[in-house]
Amino acid sequence: MSIAFRITLIIVSVFTLLYMCKKVKQEKLQIEYSIFWTLFAIMLVLFSIFPQIADWMSELVGVYSTTNFIFLLIIFILLVKCFQLTMDISKLDNKVKELVQKIAIDEKEKREQK
Amino acid sequence: MKVLIIIPAYNEQDNIERVVKHLTENYPEYDYVVINDGSMDKTSEICHSNHYNIIDLPVNLGLAGGFQTGMKYAYQKGYDCAVQFDADGQHRPEYIAAMIRKIEEGNDIVIASRFVEEKKPTTARMIGSRLITTAIRLTSGAKIMDPTSGMRMYNKKLIEVLANNINFGPEPDTVSYLIKMGAKVAEIQAKMDERIAGQSYLNAVNAAKYMARMLISILLIQNFRNKKKVDFTK
Repeated sequence: MSIAFRITLIIVSVFTLLYMCKKVKQEKLQIEYSIFWTLFAIMLVLFSIFPQIADWMSELVGVYSTTNFIFLLIIFILLVKCFQLTMDISKLDNKVKELVQKIAIDEKEKREQK
Repeated sequence: MKVLIIIPAYNEQDNIERVVKHLTENYPEYDYVVINDGSMDKTSEICHSNHYNIIDLPVNLGLAGGFQTGMKYAYQKGYDCAVQFDADGQHRPEYIAAMIRKIEEGNDIVIASRFVEEKKPTTARMIGSRLITTAIRLTSGAKIMDPTSGMRMYNKKLIEVLANNINFGPEPDTVSYLIKMGAKVAEIQAKMDERIAGQSYLNAVNAAKYMARMLISILLIQNFRNKKKVDFTK
């Protein structure tokens, strides 16, 4: 990994962390949703400070260049996260539907009782 | 002092009757409310047929959302303090009187702690507890012997704060944030029982996730939050 790439990774990670903390401070982000991004940023910083870890891992999985391995890893993690988010949205969608239906039926019953 | 016992319950059909009965028969001086967090089993039916004081959530919100419902109820009804109480029979109501005394002495939070006088054993779970104690000590300077104890009492000011804000879940990271803002925390020695029936959601994977979440939150994220959100000097 080149020095420039390592510095870029560190800068991007630190800014991600700071932005997230700002959103928590503004009460716009729940802490449990910030944990993933914190871990993600810490991982990138670790790879930049200790490139040996990434070198070792890329050799282990048979990727020729360490940079390519990092790209691959990031893509893979984001794909998994994306799938998780899809499942979360589906769950939320279901909850909203159930709530709307319950409110509507309750309202109707209230009106009929009057 | 008007005290409300908040009992979040998710699929606790085997425990809820015993727990609430013990409260109503032996501690009628305290009010309680069961928050049924969208249980799939007979928790709700059992409570309604016994005419327990219960709030049914139409969908599952999780412990934090369920507990906050109880805090909103306490806030609306003007309670002076509220205590978080497990529906599985782990917590003993005999400690509530001592907790109220600590609130009356001017503390904002009182934790029923297993390790004020007794030593922490070195099981895997207690190593987690030690890590959280250390994290809180590092970032706020306070020594909380049993940060993961689920039996915590909050005073009137904190009922309002916890009822109406996000990121104030009933967890150790909130306690650490409150200490940093100047809240006074006391612990009393308490014994806790093993859950009698049903399953705890805390398996090894969930416990590890919980630990990671708490440590990152306490060591990192809580430091960036607004330290003037609540004024504890008044």
